[in-house]
Amino acid sequence: MDSKNVMIIGGGIAGMTAARELAEAGLSVDLVEKSGFLGGHAIQYTCKATSECLQCGACSVEKMLKDVVGNDKITVHLSTEIETIENSNGYSIKIKKPAAFIDAKKCTNCGICYEKFKEDDLILQGYSKNNTPLYAVNREKIEENKIALKEVCPEGAISVSDTASFEDLTAAAVVVATGFTPFNPERKGTYGYNRFSNVISGLDLERIKRRNGFLARPSDGAAAQKIAFIQCVGSRDENLGNLWCSQICCPYALRTAESLKHKNPDLDVTIFYMDIQNTGKSFPAFYETCKDDIRFIRSIPVDIFPVENDNLNMRLFDETEGTPVMESFDLVVLSIGIMPNSENKPISELLGLALDQDGFFQNSDALNKTSTSNDGIFIAGTAQGPKNIAASMAHAGQAASGVLKYLGVTE
Amino acid sequence: MNTKQQNDMEKVNLSTQIAVIGGGYAGLKAASRISANGYNVILAPQHNDTDNNLAVLGVSAAETDRIKALENDVANDQNVEILPLSTLLEASGMPGNFTLRFESAGAVLEKSAGAVVVATDTAVNPLHQIYGLTPATNVVSVSEFENLLASETTRKAIEDGKKTVAFLVGFAHEGSPLLMKRVLNCVSDIVGMDGCSAYVYVNNIKVADDGLERLYTRCRNSGAIYFKLQKAPTVIQENEKLTVSFYDPVIRNDIELNPDIIVCEEVLVADNVNLGLAEALHIDVGPMGFLQKENVHRLPVASNREGIFVVGSAREVQDLSTSWSDVDNMMLRVRALIGDGEKSVAAKAVVDREKCTICLTCYRCCPHGAISWDDKAVISSLACQGCGICASECPMDAIQLADFTDAEMTDRIKAAASESAANAPKIVAFCCQNSAYEAGLAAKAFGHQLPAGLQLIQVPCAGKIDIHYILNALVEGADGVLVLACHTGNCKSEFGNTYAKWRINDAYQKLEQVGIEKDRLEFKTLASNMASDFARIVIDMEKRIGQKKG
Repeated sequence: MDSKNVMIIGGGIAGMTAARELAEAGLSVDLVEKSGFLGGHAIQYTCKATSECLQCGACSVEKMLKDVVGNDKITVHLSTEIETIENSNGYSIKIKKPAAFIDAKKCTNCGICYEKFKEDDLILQGYSKNNTPLYAVNREKIEENKIALKEVCPEGAISVSDTASFEDLTAAAVVVATGFTPFNPERKGTYGYNRFSNVISGLDLERIKRRNGFLARPSDGAAAQKIAFIQCVGSRDENLGNLWCSQICCPYALRTAESLKHKNPDLDVTIFYMDIQNTGKSFPAFYETCKDDIRFIRSIPVDIFPVENDNLNMRLFDETEGTPVMESFDLVVLSIGIMPNSENKPISELLGLALDQDGFFQNSDALNKTSTSNDGIFIAGTAQGPKNIAASMAHAGQAASGVLKYLGVTE
Repeated sequence: MNTKQQNDMEKVNLSTQIAVIGGGYAGLKAASRISANGYNVILAPQHNDTDNNLAVLGVSAAETDRIKALENDVANDQNVEILPLSTLLEASGMPGNFTLRFESAGAVLEKSAGAVVVATDTAVNPLHQIYGLTPATNVVSVSEFENLLASETTRKAIEDGKKTVAFLVGFAHEGSPLLMKRVLNCVSDIVGMDGCSAYVYVNNIKVADDGLERLYTRCRNSGAIYFKLQKAPTVIQENEKLTVSFYDPVIRNDIELNPDIIVCEEVLVADNVNLGLAEALHIDVGPMGFLQKENVHRLPVASNREGIFVVGSAREVQDLSTSWSDVDNMMLRVRALIGDGEKSVAAKAVVDREKCTICLTCYRCCPHGAISWDDKAVISSLACQGCGICASECPMDAIQLADFTDAEMTDRIKAAASESAANAPKIVAFCCQNSAYEAGLAAKAFGHQLPAGLQLIQVPCAGKIDIHYILNALVEGADGVLVLACHTGNCKSEFGNTYAKWRINDAYQKLEQVGIEKDRLEFKTLASNMASDFARIVIDMEKRIGQKKG
């Protein structure tokens, strides 16, 4: 086999899966990730198990990350962006590397830099212990801190230069795995996200759980006792023009509610929803369990009102009385949807690919959602449209399969 | 035990013939791709025609043409041998060298296969009886209504009759995006007909697939009326007259409709041949008769046995594009396993043929179907996943696992339990390497507070934790022992955590007999990303035991 090289843009679960599959098939892979860490959004999710596994797939991401980091056929470029890409007899790509970065070979993961600079957001910590290195320099904050950064590391692992550097790479094929952008809940102003401290997003909930081991209210750190999930925040919203279901938020809310209740049986959970979407093959049985444990209310609240003790009031409809009533919650979780990556437009122009009417990458063959109008470029994961972890992995496997076929490694 | 023998590489010849069971859209695609990759294919269709299934999938005319072309290609492919309407009687052998016995057209045929791909279809069950309805010209299933719309004369009759059509969906069964897509396509047709109207009585609208929310909204904006109800409406069928009514809690009144036609939901179910295939192939059956357990380690196309893959609707209800995505994923796995038919593999588990009394405990407990026997137990190196359940269950201690032999484990336990920890309680935690061990390392990496006297012992699966290991750790000086396994349903070897739990219960009895407190031993389940939970579990044990030490 000749040394064929594949470029993968995006180091989330789809990009990592495609990289591993291609590396296992003997190809060399350049995996380019814009942030300082592999894992994307998927690695941010915590385990949703109760006494049993609820198939959220979060542990699969952990495993995949470990496999990718340990695979010497995969070269990972962190904090790196694609500057230019040209297609003539293969792809010539110029990548832009950051002015400051932590050298994985020298870093001992001691955490001294993080302890010193975490308050300033200058040094970030990865979500997985397999993130190598475990810390990264926040590119947004480099400018004013260059000198302090250079001096903090006892191993001299932090490299700081005046400007970004560039590197030229070639690739015989490209996989676009640029993922999604979570809906910004500030756009739904009446929910008071970032104004009311106890209104959080699902991703915030994950960070809180990871940090504290339990669901602590941001306002006072107390364990939440009465919580509500609001579904379809940003998805299925005609006013916003977002005519798609994000597919992950119902399974997310149901599994999260069940796993929180497993740890704290007294927790009171209400889910406000339009239509509950399936979670998998055993959904009908799982949904029955959920109905026993969770109160489901079929309406999406329009407003959240702050009341005393940083609690939150919402209006709901009492079906027996036929009248609206106010009810108070001590934490509200917004199930924010999957939006097209906010950079899809420039990326699609760079690659000469089409976006669909919603802003996701358009597949050219309806029966192969990894296909593009450019034979050597494939789409993987939520770049094409909303997907859960398992579906992203399967989609990325298909993209890898497409690459192997395109390169003549298989038929 | 013989460590040298365990590290030897074994050269295996694999059959480059692959069996595909199921001749529908997924089976045809699988046969075509496998053949294109230079392997011979035995294609064993399980049903007479694929047309039925295409209707169930709501496949468009253009897509049907592609499948017909594929069918034609496969029929003319020299590398594909088709066994029409065959039944798989029995499968023996191991990955790389399975022997399959089929009954086809009255004859029994024996075929070798390096790997088996199960690509069975979806079946459809009508659900009118749950509404108390009797099928009639004006009470039809979704499939029947699709046929009415597909035929020019019946379609015209609906249009000219300016029919009012009521759809009932999601009350008899939760449903799926695939069914919802078919219903919405029918609704879209009806609202597009001048004078016709569509009323959709629906529980949860399943829009979790590309394009469905848009289709749902477009139908609504074109005049379709949706009644979203938690309970099925009351449906009365009196001769020709149909009445659908429900109580609306907002307007606090009954809403009644007399439609001309009721289209009743149906449910997409697993192929009825699945259970027989699972038995013949010794693979697990998942929920609802699909051939894959809900275990994330199996995704996307693995079964519990290496070399046997499940694609498309064999593993869950799938549309055409997802089925074909499965086929592409399967191709990666088949290539990785079979390659060009020759492979070197290291034995993970080795049977001491002197000690083996062929009691077949190992054969029965192996979750991967990796064990067969000649005059002694034989473990297939290709099929073995190295979990070690067999080694721990073998009553003769005749099986040793590479890198985790009893001798090696004994040394590790001794070292861990006798590690000096000043005055801190000594805690030995046996950790499955797929979950708790990773969580333990993560707890360290993220700086969680951990007991000074904590020692982790890595095991390939909690199913490899012998009761001797637990007791040994206590004898060698551990103050507390933790057995940390994967969550139920997340064990890579399906039952390793269950075996571990059984052994803990046995160990409790033994501890009681010798007067050691039960709470020095604890079983917990974890996932690889549960660093803070890991820390909490070990700290809790340290506190508990520290109090005993006083």
